[in-house]
Amino acid sequence: MPRPAASGAPPRSAAAPLAWLRERGMGASVLVAAISSAFGAILLSATGFIAAVLRADPYIGDSGTLAVVLSIMGFLLIGVAVYVAAIVTANTFATVIAGRTRRIALLRLIGATARSQRAEVARQGLVVGVIGAVLGLVGGTLLSWAGVVLAGVAFGIGEVEYAVVQPVLVVPAVVVALTTWAAAWAGSRRVLTVTPLQALGGSVEASHDAFTRKGARNGAAITLFAIGGALLAGGIVFGLVSPLGVIVAFFGGIFSFTGLALGATLVMPPVLRLVGKVFGSSATARLASENALRYPERSSRMAIGVVMGVTLVTMFAVALETVKVVLTTSAGGEPPQEMTTLLDTFAGIMMGLVAVSAVIAAVGLVNLLTIGVVQRRRELGLLRALGVSTGQVRRMVLLEAAHITITATVTGLVLGIAYGWAGAQSLLGAVPMPPSFSAPTLVAPAVPWLPVAIIVVATAALTLVAAVVPTRLATRVAPVEALAD
Amino acid sequence: MELSSTDLGLAARVQQLTKTYGTGESTVHALDGVSVGIRRGEFTAIMGPSGSGKSTLMHIMAGLDAPSSGRAWIGDTDITGLSDLELTILRRRRVGFVFQAFNLVPTLDALGNILLPFDLDGRRPTALERARIDGLVERLGLSSRLNHRPHQLSGGQQQRVAIARALATSPDLVFADEPTGNLDSRSGREVLALLAAATREHGQSIAMVTHDPVAASHADRVLFLGDGRIVADKPRQSAEEISAYMLASELGAAAPATAGMVAS
Repeated sequence: MPRPAASGAPPRSAAAPLAWLRERGMGASVLVAAISSAFGAILLSATGFIAAVLRADPYIGDSGTLAVVLSIMGFLLIGVAVYVAAIVTANTFATVIAGRTRRIALLRLIGATARSQRAEVARQGLVVGVIGAVLGLVGGTLLSWAGVVLAGVAFGIGEVEYAVVQPVLVVPAVVVALTTWAAAWAGSRRVLTVTPLQALGGSVEASHDAFTRKGARNGAAITLFAIGGALLAGGIVFGLVSPLGVIVAFFGGIFSFTGLALGATLVMPPVLRLVGKVFGSSATARLASENALRYPERSSRMAIGVVMGVTLVTMFAVALETVKVVLTTSAGGEPPQEMTTLLDTFAGIMMGLVAVSAVIAAVGLVNLLTIGVVQRRRELGLLRALGVSTGQVRRMVLLEAAHITITATVTGLVLGIAYGWAGAQSLLGAVPMPPSFSAPTLVAPAVPWLPVAIIVVATAALTLVAAVVPTRLATRVAPVEALAD
Repeated sequence: MELSSTDLGLAARVQQLTKTYGTGESTVHALDGVSVGIRRGEFTAIMGPSGSGKSTLMHIMAGLDAPSSGRAWIGDTDITGLSDLELTILRRRRVGFVFQAFNLVPTLDALGNILLPFDLDGRRPTALERARIDGLVERLGLSSRLNHRPHQLSGGQQQRVAIARALATSPDLVFADEPTGNLDSRSGREVLALLAAATREHGQSIAMVTHDPVAASHADRVLFLGDGRIVADKPRQSAEEISAYMLASELGAAAPATAGMVAS
């Protein structure tokens, strides 16, 4: 018989040290960490490779600034991906813990301290982060190598020398592992609120998430958003005189978006409610939209992750399209061929890279919906007993998924168009345009239909995929099973 | 020609109902050839110790579970071979449920919960039904609570909302599973009085599973189950009579066991 540990932590079973990895939510967290880490490796390789290619290209010439710009953008994109991954992981761990409440309460009852429980969760987060980061690093390096070879063949630049395996690739992996650890720690705050009493049966179901008024955080969010908005406006005005306005606008974008992300719980619920109204007033629609609003913090943070991804993709698409339109008009109606191809390729690559963040958020969303269904077994049993058919349950889950994806996508599109236009305007406001050939000029945002169509289709696909596993679990709940204690 | 349940004056019945779980050594015979009917317009209590099969019987009679063998009817409808969808719709329209806990959908307010069966059918209550529901709400003292969410209601109020929902569709039968289990004695007495009044004044058929003699004393008829069989069928009993019976049957069951222990 194992001797009890002195620290107040229960002795771990030696039989299955990593058995907890099979729990719902852990696999998705590993996947998210792997994607971010792979993305980091691929992006660094891509920017390094592009820099090497440009250096060898006679047309571009000296590309010192370009290399720096590429590196900055690269790190920023990785930063965004890691940020989204951190949100997803924190949310996932918070949800997982909500489902483990009874087990944690039991351990607390027996004598484990709250801190040791939280430390255990954080430790699991570190393991998840390390496994994901390593898998991602290996996968990302392999993919980069394949990409370099393919690019050499496809674009006829095979003679460019580029070593894919570089020590700098480890940096994103380390960052991912550490942020996963931190995110798990942040998400596990609820462990401290679990009381031993909750282990005893008959405790009241606390399915209502008290909407905590985080006054300070909301205040900071609004301030950041205001500063960001001012900087954006300033950048646009400045851009009427000089293309350096785009730098001001850039910071404006970062501040305002950070404000939005911090204040997600302020912004998203009203939008969610609005989308809910569109779904109609049938019982299934109402139940689905109420579910999305049941845990406003969770739903908002999840939606913000997808919003980020969609915003970035749309922003690039709109900005580059607008630049193309301006260049075409200023060249007298004829699009300059090399620039157009370059811009299109650049746009395509950027959008693809940025879409990774959207994918990470999507994984998180699917995972959260699944966990949400699992934690609602009793309620689903009740609904089935009262007369909700399996078809109606299916519709409910699908609508709930659609709720969040549609809200996030629409918000992202709107924001992306706004930011993209601001970026293009602040960059090109000083460019003389026909027929007057005098600066300053105002450009209208040009929205390319193809990327938007792809985004809409991707949203629909995401909704369907997100609903598959939760639906299967929800319809499997027999009324009797969930009613038994 | 088979007699229908209506001919027999029954709201629900079962015939030779058997339910077993597991196979081989670990087989559990939850119900063993039970044949019984719940009479229309009566408040029936179903009692028995743990493992007697009373919850299983209720689950099958309410269309929540399928028997291993035997037949079951709700009203005149044979529910034995019905598909999941047909059973679901049947439950929605013709059965009312009041459980011990977790009765209400947390994301809907009280009125939303009461009208849920109608919403699921995609219809609004008719004028007649609406009048009936308004009467129920007033009788149950819920008029000021209609737009409160379950977490804003006390346990007794939640049970009353559940009762309103159960009675709103004028179902063939209301199944109550330990409805006073989570309530303090005052709220519990109120709930039982309301259920008894529904039977007395509106002819609602109610079947209540309980282990509480005080609760069962409100019923017109008390069925006792033991080891998956009906062991007694008594008319209205006082709480003392029910307690005495329960004690006697436990002692009776204990005596042969202790005798067996002494002998071995």
